[in-house]
Amino acid sequence: MTAVPFPVREPAWSLSRSAIGLWVTESVISSVVTGIAATAVAVFVPSEPGTALPTLRWLVPVLALAYAAVAIGIRPWFKHRVYRWEVTADAVFTRTGWLTQTWTLVPISRIQTVDVTRGVLQQLFGLSTVAVLTASSQGTVRIWHLDADVAQRVAEDLAHRAEQVRDEAT
Amino acid sequence: MTQPPDAIVRRTSPTVVLLHTVTFRQARQFVPVVIPIAAATGLGGGTRTVVTLIVGVTLLSLVTAALTWWRFGYADGPAAVVVTRGLLSRSVRTVPNDRIRGVEVETPVLHRIFGLVRVRIDAAAGAQAGKDEELLIDGVTRAEGDRLRVAVLTHRPAPGLPGAQDAAAEPVEEQFARFDNRWLFYAPLVGSYLAVPFAAVSALFRLADELPARFQPHLDETALSDGQLLLVAAVAAVLLLWLGSVVGAAVVNWGFTLVRRGGSLVAVRGLVTRRHTELEVDRIRGCTVAEGAGMRLVGAARVNALVTGLGDANRRGQLLPLGPRTEAWTLVRRLVPDPGPLRRHPAAARQRRLVRATSPGLALTAAGLVATPLAGWWELLVAGVVLVSLGVPLGLGRYAALGHAVGAESLAVRSGWLVREEAQLERRAVVGWRVQQSLFQRRAGVATVVACVGAGNGGYAALDMAAEEIAAFTAAASGSWATTFSRPAG
Repeated sequence: MTAVPFPVREPAWSLSRSAIGLWVTESVISSVVTGIAATAVAVFVPSEPGTALPTLRWLVPVLALAYAAVAIGIRPWFKHRVYRWEVTADAVFTRTGWLTQTWTLVPISRIQTVDVTRGVLQQLFGLSTVAVLTASSQGTVRIWHLDADVAQRVAEDLAHRAEQVRDEAT
Repeated sequence: MTQPPDAIVRRTSPTVVLLHTVTFRQARQFVPVVIPIAAATGLGGGTRTVVTLIVGVTLLSLVTAALTWWRFGYADGPAAVVVTRGLLSRSVRTVPNDRIRGVEVETPVLHRIFGLVRVRIDAAAGAQAGKDEELLIDGVTRAEGDRLRVAVLTHRPAPGLPGAQDAAAEPVEEQFARFDNRWLFYAPLVGSYLAVPFAAVSALFRLADELPARFQPHLDETALSDGQLLLVAAVAAVLLLWLGSVVGAAVVNWGFTLVRRGGSLVAVRGLVTRRHTELEVDRIRGCTVAEGAGMRLVGAARVNALVTGLGDANRRGQLLPLGPRTEAWTLVRRLVPDPGPLRRHPAAARQRRLVRATSPGLALTAAGLVATPLAGWWELLVAGVVLVSLGVPLGLGRYAALGHAVGAESLAVRSGWLVREEAQLERRAVVGWRVQQSLFQRRAGVATVVACVGAGNGGYAALDMAAEEIAAFTAAASGSWATTFSRPAG
């Protein structure tokens, strides 16, 4: 898979390791929810022979287990390799995603607002998300899960520089 | 924003009280309250009750209309437009002049009878557009409406813009497009106009349901055999659709003209409600040319302007609602520099479009292959084969629509089959790039590039562009910042 070159280069900086912990926690929570639903299927679905229902009774829990294994055991580390970011002299550049990867590039001169948000889980791990908004609803860059102090510095720096080089911003 | 003393607070015309009394505009909100009260107090039928009700409602309407008029004021100052309103809780909305994107003057039928117009002032909408981004001044005289429109648009401070200075010096008028009534015959091939007769027919059916039984049309079911009835119904339906869409298009687009007056584009249209929309040329970042599958058969197209910060852009940004393709492209070329001919996307893109278009059919065929020997469901197999054979031309058509181009000052991307849309964008329109690649796209060596634009629907995508072309395309189509994609990290 690494043999195929990326369409564009990857941003320079990776996230802090605590992002992995956050992703694992998120996956555990969603796995527990799926697990409860799968258990409900296994317990409450009647096993009428001759229909698809008995297959369903074991297939759903197996799928839920497989999901949990991938989501907890593989996805966080994979994401940590994909999620990268960079602030260059004139642009903000990120890569996000997992199976489908997204590169977003926004010039500092077109930045309209910079937000820093901290979700409940993010606070546990001391992380923040920096959202860089432009005039386009589709041109929003989110730098996920930066260390809180780094996020604060990045946001201040970006807001300051956007003010200095701002052209029309639209 | 402080209001300078020289801005006079104006009122709408008092005639609007009469207009709103007639239409029960403000009183309408009381209707849901009044009906249960009337029912509960046991007002019987009888002419007296009806008369009392009518007089009462009219009086109520008059009072609310008068109060609303009395409490409504607006002022167009040199720095901002301020609208004050509200019966009990007062609201003051201030829109700075430099955030005003356009002014629309509407004349619905009743307004025309009373010699009034309705003025809509559009303010810049942010990334999250809302309905609140406009000021509505309902019921000023036509002269006052024109004065307001000119005043608001010329107050706008725009020293650096060449267009605005031209406007101050000599407001030259140049006609960009004029609606030819023969173009109305394109309407039956456009999806949105076809929806008009459908809406009318469903309204008719609802009305027929509510009529007392003895007034309902009585169809003698034995008179016609089923086949004849179906044929007659089908012919009638087609005629109705055809006629309805032409009439619908005529009502909306009658007498459409697009004129450039100094720094703004002025579009006027409408048969019943006359609309007068003004857009600033300097805020136009590009155009989209949309051609539906039916429109392509007859060479018709629709042109919309991409205006930054314009809410409800689909309606207000229309530059040519319906017309021949040549006319559409002449118009686009006046506004956006030519980026050159479109380049096709690689063969991998064709393969991907084909796979996507045929995969539902293939899945159904596979299911059919299993189910036919097991349960004898051969219909599944037939449906699958039909879907696959339909999917092939669809996939090829979708591939043929794909294309991108980049010139010195502009770029273009095109996609879509049911509605093929080509976005022609100025270089400065691009406020960001997004490159997206799924696992399948990686293996095929393609990726999707979205040009993020602060106008229209926010982004225009080039589907399945060859991965190695992307860095060069983005660098050529926007400022030097886009070279970040290829520049080595550091």
